[in-house]
Amino acid sequence: MRRNITIALSVLMVFTFIFVAMQGMAIGAEEDRLVREVSLITRPKASSPDEFETITILAEAMEKVGIRATVEVMPWEQMADVVWYDREAWDLTGWQMTARPERLDPDEFTYNLFHSSTAETGYNFIGYKNPEYDRVAEEQRVTVDKEKRRELIYKSQEIIAEDVGYIFSVNPLVNIVYNNEVFAADSIKEMAGLGIKNFWTYINAEPISEQQDFILNSNDTVQAINPLYISGSVDSWITELVWDRVMRMGQDGLPTPWAAESVEWLDNTTVEVVMRDDMTWHDGKPVTVEDVKFSFEVPKTGEAPMYKPFVDIIDEIEITGESTLVFNLKEPWAAFETASLAKLNIIPKHIWEPIIEDLKDKPENAESYQADVPIGSGPFKFSNWKFSEEVVLEANEDHFQAPKVNHWIARFIPNMEATLGMIQNGELNFLATYLGDNQLLQQRVEESPHLTMVSSIDLGFRFLAPNHRVKPFSDKAFRRAVASLADRELFAGLVWKGFAVPSSSVISPALEYWHNPDVNYPEAGIMEARKTLEEAGYEWDSQGRLLYPAE
Amino acid sequence: MLNIRWKYVLKRTGQMILTMWIISTILFFIFRLMPGNPLVAYIDPTFTEEQQQILMQQFGLDKPLWMQYLIYIKNLFRGNLGESFFFKDSVLNVIMKVLPNTIYLMLSALIIAYSVGVIGGIFLAWKRGEKVETFGIIVTLFTRAAPQFWVGMILLAVFSFQLDIFPSGGVSTAGTVYATEMQKLLSLNFYKHLFLPALTLSIYLLGLPLLLMRSNMLDVMHESYVEMAKMRGLSKTRVMFKYAARNAFLPVITAMAVGIGYAMGGNVVIETVFSWPGLGRLLVKAVSTSDYPLAQGAFILIAGVMVFMNFVADILYSLLDPRVNIEGRK
Repeated sequence: MRRNITIALSVLMVFTFIFVAMQGMAIGAEEDRLVREVSLITRPKASSPDEFETITILAEAMEKVGIRATVEVMPWEQMADVVWYDREAWDLTGWQMTARPERLDPDEFTYNLFHSSTAETGYNFIGYKNPEYDRVAEEQRVTVDKEKRRELIYKSQEIIAEDVGYIFSVNPLVNIVYNNEVFAADSIKEMAGLGIKNFWTYINAEPISEQQDFILNSNDTVQAINPLYISGSVDSWITELVWDRVMRMGQDGLPTPWAAESVEWLDNTTVEVVMRDDMTWHDGKPVTVEDVKFSFEVPKTGEAPMYKPFVDIIDEIEITGESTLVFNLKEPWAAFETASLAKLNIIPKHIWEPIIEDLKDKPENAESYQADVPIGSGPFKFSNWKFSEEVVLEANEDHFQAPKVNHWIARFIPNMEATLGMIQNGELNFLATYLGDNQLLQQRVEESPHLTMVSSIDLGFRFLAPNHRVKPFSDKAFRRAVASLADRELFAGLVWKGFAVPSSSVISPALEYWHNPDVNYPEAGIMEARKTLEEAGYEWDSQGRLLYPAE
Repeated sequence: MLNIRWKYVLKRTGQMILTMWIISTILFFIFRLMPGNPLVAYIDPTFTEEQQQILMQQFGLDKPLWMQYLIYIKNLFRGNLGESFFFKDSVLNVIMKVLPNTIYLMLSALIIAYSVGVIGGIFLAWKRGEKVETFGIIVTLFTRAAPQFWVGMILLAVFSFQLDIFPSGGVSTAGTVYATEMQKLLSLNFYKHLFLPALTLSIYLLGLPLLLMRSNMLDVMHESYVEMAKMRGLSKTRVMFKYAARNAFLPVITAMAVGIGYAMGGNVVIETVFSWPGLGRLLVKAVSTSDYPLAQGAFILIAGVMVFMNFVADILYSLLDPRVNIEGRK
């Protein structure tokens, strides 16, 4: 009897020992599977309150499914340095794409942001590599047929949403205020993705009071007024007005002839442009097809490196008539009209040719050249530039679409609160940039009958960029789960106070033609996130921390 | 020039050059050691690797560090502060565009602050022991402690937006063009724009001369020659101004000289509140975009002014006070 008990006890002990040992091994194995703590980078609260709040909310949500996340605050310059130049060293960062007229064509975002060729040093800083996506991105680039191209753009948005290339946040609303006692309401024009702050407003605005000038604010100093240099957002407002272009982006977001009377595609790689014959430079000389040809050839010389990518595809430009040019492209490029014809400034050959010749022997290029009185042919002429204070442009009465205002004046006002006072007391009559509290702005506008606010969906968008090169964000299921945790409706309502719409694509809903409203982007919710992780094999340890799926 | 020995001036000049060289070297290394990369200001979807290389070359950043340093020092000796990465123009040109505005603001604020401060100091010393004195000191301390942007915003809200007496920013009304700098200085419009920022700055600055003056006055009032003047039956006013104030004033002059140095580049807050295009804002922009040449150039300029003004202060003191021997020997 005693012997049986001894044997039974021994067996029990052995089993207990094995059981405990297995548990111990399981815990050890679990330690290997533990998802490490991830760091989420954001700009400081003072400079970017919405980004800071968004990241903070996401970090908290991630903790709820056992993902340990810390918020790392960095000023923009440092953040850009890390994210851009040290591409393996970060997990997730807040980021944004700003609205620019050239981004009205989906090519720039579709190709540059996700094509594998730009992953090492270019704009695909997240390191997204998908051969299927590459094919779609390359094909849309050369598909000149609009309908077919649209299908491809739709497809590209589907892939990105499914793969969670970006963890999307919102498209903010652009809120711009103008003085309705100074300008006729119907002369203020809205443009897809840009709101009322656009070229068409500047040239159409009709003054209905004694104030004959268009006075707006900028929050950044003008760096240069140079048609061969892409220097800053305010600078681009000025170059758009002082120089003409072959085409311009219309109010609907599609390119329309401007300095050209007509633009016709003779075949996939040949474009015939018939220029207007009633244009003159601000110094009185006439604008000729020679000037146009020159303007597109200068960037190829390397003296205007920022514009070079937009003319590289041009093989040859032939002058076939007094007002006709033919552009021969090396290969088809669907975005040619937007990215080239509507982007390059037409510059006077008689002024720039000697300058470019001179620069060829020097180390610096055309970007360093700042004319005292820049000469263009645009609807406004350069009048005065008080450094760091204001830029004044004068209406060009000889222009074929001469503006109705006398002057266009951009005042550099770094004090955001002061701009509110200034739009109210008339020192400004167009509040072009306001980075403060939108609710306060709306309130002020409601209290002031002479002010009108127009809200439009921004072309640009905010998002959280996951690093696809490094675990855990390299795993699709993980990304989809985090995307469910990033509740875009919550961001739009809480962080943006209703002044934003949830985003699910790099193509803004403001671009009605190209935006795909039907993509398989993860639904929001903590339960959703858990489910996604469970289905992929993720588990949680006894402390609730997330573990990678077992091998 | 009774007290100045030219040997002393030479010695001081040598010291100043040495100081400036040390400062320039420290500046050179500080910016390059700071996190941040000048190329970051140019990031764009179409910013290719090729363009990055070109930019690095233009900035001279492709050369080894020691070579960059030697080029920098060589240029400094020739008075060449380099070319701004951001504005692509010589640093000197860029700085000269905003320097006059900074000087106008600084000088007007200092003049107001020191005038009010000196008179206030005399007054408070005069009213020693009375309630007015306590009240005056509290108000003075308050002006010194109040943040400049807060004072500025309040003045802006009241005098500009509420009462509409002064404009809210800039150096001139939108669209104004002055043919010459002189024309600007003679226009009422300019002074209307200058008034609020100068007032804000002077409110902050007046604390120093006021309390300094008062403290000096209190010291001097106990001196025997002042007692003597009182005993001779001279009026209190005469005693105060002719005997006490004149002597109490000396340290204030030297403080003002040094104050000019301090006020040169540190007004970024006032410049932001009143959209005043000055050196402070330019400097902040240069540092945040890692525009090394511009940041270095601006700092060197400020340091140079400070070092020089310190020297001026010493000379002034020796000229004004016959007891002081410039070389420090009694």
